[in-house]
Amino acid sequence: MISLHAHRRDIAAGARAMAPWLAGVVPFGLVIGVSAARADVPTWAGWLTGPLIYAGSAQAATIQMLDAGAAPVAVVAAALIINIRLIFYSATMARHWRGTPWWWRLVAAYLLIDPSFAVGLDGYRRLADRGRAHAHYFGGAVLLWVSWLAAIGAGATAGAGLPAWLHLEFVIPLFLVGETVPKLANPALRRAIFAAATVALLALSAPLHLGVTLAIAAGISAGLTARPDGPAQATHPLQQTTEVPR
Amino acid sequence: MNAWIVILAAGSGSYLFRLSMIILTGRITLPPYLERASGLVAPAAFAALAAAGVATACIGLGATQAAAPLAAVAAAVIAVLRTGSSYAAILVGMPALWITTSLLSS
Repeated sequence: MISLHAHRRDIAAGARAMAPWLAGVVPFGLVIGVSAARADVPTWAGWLTGPLIYAGSAQAATIQMLDAGAAPVAVVAAALIINIRLIFYSATMARHWRGTPWWWRLVAAYLLIDPSFAVGLDGYRRLADRGRAHAHYFGGAVLLWVSWLAAIGAGATAGAGLPAWLHLEFVIPLFLVGETVPKLANPALRRAIFAAATVALLALSAPLHLGVTLAIAAGISAGLTARPDGPAQATHPLQQTTEVPR
Repeated sequence: MNAWIVILAAGSGSYLFRLSMIILTGRITLPPYLERASGLVAPAAFAALAAAGVATACIGLGATQAAAPLAAVAAAVIAVLRTGSSYAAILVGMPALWITTSLLSS
């Protein structure tokens, strides 16, 4: 397994490989932190979505839906639907972590999210020595985790002290618009986006605030109706989003 | 209290997803359509949350200022299309919101 001393160079290499991802991670963490501070939920609870859920888009959905007063079951359902891609990351990493101690699998799985998956997978492909590859994954994943929680904390601290007229609660919807617009070029994603947005608006007053969950399901269904072998095909989940711990 | 339970439940479920195939490796094969669906989740979720968030903001601001969030979104969309950067939506959209809100309330 990993030795912090013997594998320090691989740990550092993993951290260096993660550094470019932080350019996207840190601003998103700040946005999540600000929204947590402005939402009608305890700021600490908003910050705790970082270490507990550790997936940005699911965190944003959880905070936004809690703020809107959605039913607990609807919030959890939406967060889990958003995070379903983690099952695929888990399936990919399983072959690399086979035969490792349980403590490693429990820790490594906890740190598994889009950027750590990408950086880690690169290490497993390049490094023949599994110990070195584990160290590479660990270095990148830990740096990501620390940066993410620090960014959310900084956003929450700054957001709490800013005046109401700034309407910082609107940062998350704008961020989501920014993430959605570039994806309209892909026909399957375009179909999913328009269906999801339409259903979300139509179901705005749905009981228990189930509208968002229904809209996500409608969007996925609409996207799946696109030709599976054409350009409309959704490729790997990592290519669909800049998902930073999302 | 509900918020803590919700966050704990969503976190536990997400951790189980992360662990799932590491525990079940070799025993389950995921169907291809599920992998395809997985790629659609984030865009669908973002669109749903964005639409709901903007609509809620419009309703919350009342009839006189409801146009402000819509103007901000329009500015954000144009900025993203022009620059190709997702963060341009915030950098352009927020000032647009402040300006239109101020104009509509004066």
